[in-house]
Amino acid sequence: MIRRTPAGLFLHDLKNRGLSAWTLSLLLIAFYGILYFGQYYWTPDSPCTDNASCYSEGAVCEAGACVRESQLERGQDWLYRTATVHIDELGWKLGASVDAATRPDGTLARDENKNGVIDNWEHFGNRWTIYGLLYTLGILLGGAWICFKYRHNRYQIIRTGVVMMVQTSFAFSLPILLKFFHKPEYYFSYMWPLKIDYLDPRNFAYYGEGLVLWGFFASLAVVPVMTLLYGKRWYCSWVCGCGGLANTFGEPWRHLSNKSSNAWKFEKVAIYTVMGVAFFSTALWFASAVLPESSSLHAAATGTRKWYGLVVTASLSGAIGTGLYPIGGTRVWCRNFCPMAAFLGIIQKLGRFRIRVKKEMCISCGLCSKYCEMGIDVRSYAQAGLSFTRAACVGCGLCAEVCPRGVLRLENSAKVDPQELSLVSFLDESWKGASSSVPAKI
Amino acid sequence: MKIVIVGNGVAGVTCAMTARQRDPHAEITIVGGETDYFFSRTALMYSFMDRMTRRDLEPYERKAYAEQRIALLRDWVIDHHADAKTVHLSSGTTLHYDKLVLALGATPNRFGWEGINDVKDGLVHFVSMQDLDACERLTPTTREAIVVGGGLIGIELVESLLHHGVKVTFLIREPYYWPLALGREEGDIVTEQLRAHGVQVRYMEEMKRIEVDAAGRVSGVLTNKGETIPCQMLGICVGVRPSIDRLKAFTDPPQLSRGVVVDETLQSSLPDVFACGDCAEIQPIEGRSYVEMIWYSAKRQGRHVAANLFGDQLRYAPPIFFNSSKFFEVEYTTVGEVMSLPEGTPTLFRKHPTKPLCQRILHNGDRVLGFNMLGSRWNHEILERWIRERRSPAWVVAHLADAQFDVEFGRANLASCIQRELPLAKELAR
Repeated sequence: MIRRTPAGLFLHDLKNRGLSAWTLSLLLIAFYGILYFGQYYWTPDSPCTDNASCYSEGAVCEAGACVRESQLERGQDWLYRTATVHIDELGWKLGASVDAATRPDGTLARDENKNGVIDNWEHFGNRWTIYGLLYTLGILLGGAWICFKYRHNRYQIIRTGVVMMVQTSFAFSLPILLKFFHKPEYYFSYMWPLKIDYLDPRNFAYYGEGLVLWGFFASLAVVPVMTLLYGKRWYCSWVCGCGGLANTFGEPWRHLSNKSSNAWKFEKVAIYTVMGVAFFSTALWFASAVLPESSSLHAAATGTRKWYGLVVTASLSGAIGTGLYPIGGTRVWCRNFCPMAAFLGIIQKLGRFRIRVKKEMCISCGLCSKYCEMGIDVRSYAQAGLSFTRAACVGCGLCAEVCPRGVLRLENSAKVDPQELSLVSFLDESWKGASSSVPAKI
Repeated sequence: MKIVIVGNGVAGVTCAMTARQRDPHAEITIVGGETDYFFSRTALMYSFMDRMTRRDLEPYERKAYAEQRIALLRDWVIDHHADAKTVHLSSGTTLHYDKLVLALGATPNRFGWEGINDVKDGLVHFVSMQDLDACERLTPTTREAIVVGGGLIGIELVESLLHHGVKVTFLIREPYYWPLALGREEGDIVTEQLRAHGVQVRYMEEMKRIEVDAAGRVSGVLTNKGETIPCQMLGICVGVRPSIDRLKAFTDPPQLSRGVVVDETLQSSLPDVFACGDCAEIQPIEGRSYVEMIWYSAKRQGRHVAANLFGDQLRYAPPIFFNSSKFFEVEYTTVGEVMSLPEGTPTLFRKHPTKPLCQRILHNGDRVLGFNMLGSRWNHEILERWIRERRSPAWVVAHLADAQFDVEFGRANLASCIQRELPLAKELAR
């Protein structure tokens, strides 16, 4: 029995919300917390002569430097300092070593902000470089494992290969190279509304007209056309880094997504809310750029930038999205919050992609539902013999892979199944043909 | 209308769900003693292999039954009065019905092996939730297991046991794996798979005597070749039969033969009593009676009986046969008639020179009759249509790629399969 061995027991625990899974989840959330917010919370160990010259609350002067009074807070400081300054330093050194070899004039300077955090657009190493490196390694190692695990399935091999390639090039190496050549740091694998900054007029001067035009073209032309032709999978499970990490490093937890109809209800409310907020914010930013004299608009734009960054980008996509891998499955962000996924999902409903279901061959075993990372109850469609397109489906192809009777197949087909084009069908997501027999969700 | 359905398997639950679609006001009750909720029996092996929890086996959310106003009773039916139209449950409850549906399922076969009455533990089947309980309880103390019976359930149990690191001996009475459905060539591919996974496969070998230890647990099996194979667990997977034993003790049982005898409208000999699924023996007006014992037919019959509860009088006729399975990594699809055809039936057999990939196309020279496809995915709907359309074998071979259902980019290479004429041969035991 696999579970007889200690390693097997541990793996089972880790993959099935055991103690080790919860621990890992907390560690991941803490990691993201420190990564995003650490720099704001530690006390600079500024030089001092007495306690009065330390301004931070609860700080005392010890051996000529301000430190926190309690040991716990000192520990926190150490952690935050390590995570920001020291890791930044490491990243900077990595960058500088490449730099020294390639740019003998040594013109690259480091700028530090008041907390000593390296804060310079030009250098190409800081904690985000280290984070990017870890992220890329996660995708590459996980991807290699996926290619091995599903070596009999060419769809999985090709898809995973593309994800690994996109991550290494567009999402990691290219931005570093761009910075190296003093060009704006641009991730071609991300686009608005996922990377909401790319259509924020405030950044247009920094990106330059070429990239801004590309940003518009990518979001408003490439995305809809590709999605109509191939479904949202071309992006969510072939290109995007969030999906990339979920489908590689996250493989051991993919089955943990909640399949209940209540989770689906939450998903629909949550994801379209975030999408609405993203669209609204962008509109607001444009308005404030067009009407620069309106101070209330300006204040609103600044406020939404801050809160969007804090809530959506840092908390939901980072801390919650990845931090909850071992507890809620790998696509918590993609399924419930990603504005890009919501946008793509709506277009997918109008396009050619579907999961084709062979009639009558389903044995209701439920492996498809179990291993759907988006929490789609695939079985409810399969056992009713209904081909379907769900807005959430990212086309990872695992339902078709695990199906022991070969009932499911992902396909792009010009053949139109009857689908009601109404708000009701977007929300209920049932095919018109469904009502004649057993409903998809009994 | 009060509908009482006995059995919460796929036939019973499908019948209940379909009846609810038909009549929003009917009072529907399902009585089942095996589990609280309907589960997918076909997925037992995935639960045993830790790929699913037991809850994952339930095809419908639990609240669906309340939403559909289907009452579930965890109980066994012990008696039936036809005149009073009542069934009596082991808890003492009496249910009155207007229409009664018997969806009793099937029971594993046991034959009169020597020593079987001395067995107190270590003997399992693999069809019910209680069987899964027993398997999970016994596996940690099992190093060697013997599985008897070369069919679908047998190979599922073998695969599950292998997953847990148990050394498995597979005793098969026939000369190759599953001659009821597979030709010798397909059987050999499965055998290769079994042996590659370390299974001791023994063909033409039968269990003669079961040996037990002092505690009464299975300790070995003596085969008809005079060899004793040690084991701590014995899986008996030699087919199933309709679960009608209980009915024989009822005050008013319906007419029974192999199963509950029903006419083509699935109605039994008693008024307002129907049967569907594994337990139903369908007696057409002309021809031999038959029992269909697969998942799809149970579902189909469940739907069918639901219509007839409301007086539709639809005659049940099984469509062109299809089935599918998976032997380790090798997928299997069959459509139409294959091994039921007479010996010598013309056959095109196509096989990849190295991979476990083959297609068997049976025909009568003029039109195709059946398909046995191993090693890749096929759309049975298209194969079925070709049989219905009486397509010629040459036409079918030319269009074979249209029926492939493999994953994108992963289409099996049919061109590399070598085709030859291979009239159907049969090697059934005895």
